[in-house]
Amino acid sequence: MDQRIIDLVCDTLVRAGSTFRPDQKEAYRRAMKTEKNELANWCLATTLENAEVAEKNRSPLCDDTGIPHLFVEIGPNRQLTGDMMAAIQEGVRQGLRTLPGRPMAIKGDDMQRLDQSGGLDEDSGALAAAPMIIKNVDEDVLRVTVLMTGGGPAIRGITERVFHKHNAKVVADEIVARAKDRVSLLGCSPCTLAVGIGRSQYEATALMIEAMAKGNYDKQTEMEKYITDEVNKVCTCGPLGLGGDTAVLATFMKVGPQRASGVRIVALRPCCCFEPRCASVEL
Amino acid sequence: MKRITTPITDEMVNSLNVGDMVYVSGYIFCGRDAVLPKIVRDMEEGKLADKGIDLTGGVVFHTAVSPAGTGPTSSNKLEIEASIEPLSKGGIKMHLGKGQLKPETIAALDKYNSLYAVIPPVTALLESKVSSREVMAYPEEGMEAFHRLYVTDFPCVIAAVRGKSIYDKEA
Repeated sequence: MDQRIIDLVCDTLVRAGSTFRPDQKEAYRRAMKTEKNELANWCLATTLENAEVAEKNRSPLCDDTGIPHLFVEIGPNRQLTGDMMAAIQEGVRQGLRTLPGRPMAIKGDDMQRLDQSGGLDEDSGALAAAPMIIKNVDEDVLRVTVLMTGGGPAIRGITERVFHKHNAKVVADEIVARAKDRVSLLGCSPCTLAVGIGRSQYEATALMIEAMAKGNYDKQTEMEKYITDEVNKVCTCGPLGLGGDTAVLATFMKVGPQRASGVRIVALRPCCCFEPRCASVEL
Repeated sequence: MKRITTPITDEMVNSLNVGDMVYVSGYIFCGRDAVLPKIVRDMEEGKLADKGIDLTGGVVFHTAVSPAGTGPTSSNKLEIEASIEPLSKGGIKMHLGKGQLKPETIAALDKYNSLYAVIPPVTALLESKVSSREVMAYPEEGMEAFHRLYVTDFPCVIAAVRGKSIYDKEA
């Protein structure tokens, strides 16, 4: 296996699990300037302080270090072989041991994994990554983005159809309605809403992962900003559910191809206060 | 910020109000979905003393304890929220986690003069405040075993006490 790829992916996973990106830090600083609630401001400042300590120590932002998800972009003149994919998976294993990831792989057969009766594997690296998403891009790169997805947002997420009535605002308003209770129940707010809109549950979820990988707090489309503002109007839970104006920091949305139909499939994930935990590397 | 050290007395509970920011120090228990129902069962069967566990005045932090550190899981998960009333009855004075609890759970806390506090999920910061950790029961559960930590100045906010909740708009 290619040791260079293993080392690069290992380092990328550690960065994903321990580091706020510059635009993410700036989003927190902006929120602290406008948030008037004392408890909310304390939560925002403590979360930012935690990010600085985690980055300095290269230690986990959160004890739920998350399930590794891999988003791969491949340009027209690049190749991705089976050996390279195996090296990427080995890099994930070593990254999980280095971070360290929480050892939460469940052992056993299908039934034992469902009811958790097979026990836990003590090896952080035993946690398998989710199936890799590979996307063709025009840029001449082979880029791997590692995302570490926590359990809280997975509990609150939803993938379901919207009857759009030939009006994009209907879709946006349904996303706002679905987000309201889910953000309140999340606990680890302020959240970032990740949204994928496609033609099937699979496609919508893949687009949602892409939105998490490529989203930027400094670049918000009109519809992303609309969703963020509307959820913050109706959701008074604030950071950590303690009240305030900052329930949602931003929305990262990816709209894919759509079918000639009255229905759109929407995947929605209320990412927690540390997410999207992601980092990229060019191989 | 107020400061309290375990074991927590009724007087300490009575001195705290919803919205108070508090530093907690001393020994605290840790458990979540997998182990808390087993601790409740052991308590009801009178088996906790055999395991060297005394819940009186104690804190239960809803977390796993792993090499990655600690951090609150959602206290409104089914098994965790269901443990709050029996553990309060058994002597626990503070349940430490995150997320909104049901009104009936808030009432149960009041019944036993216990309280609920939320703690930010700031694992990197919390790690610097933990000076010892040990497994008290069910080691086979791994990171979900019932642990005891010694902590200094864990930051938290009182979210429910004496029947009031921070999630009530009038609180």
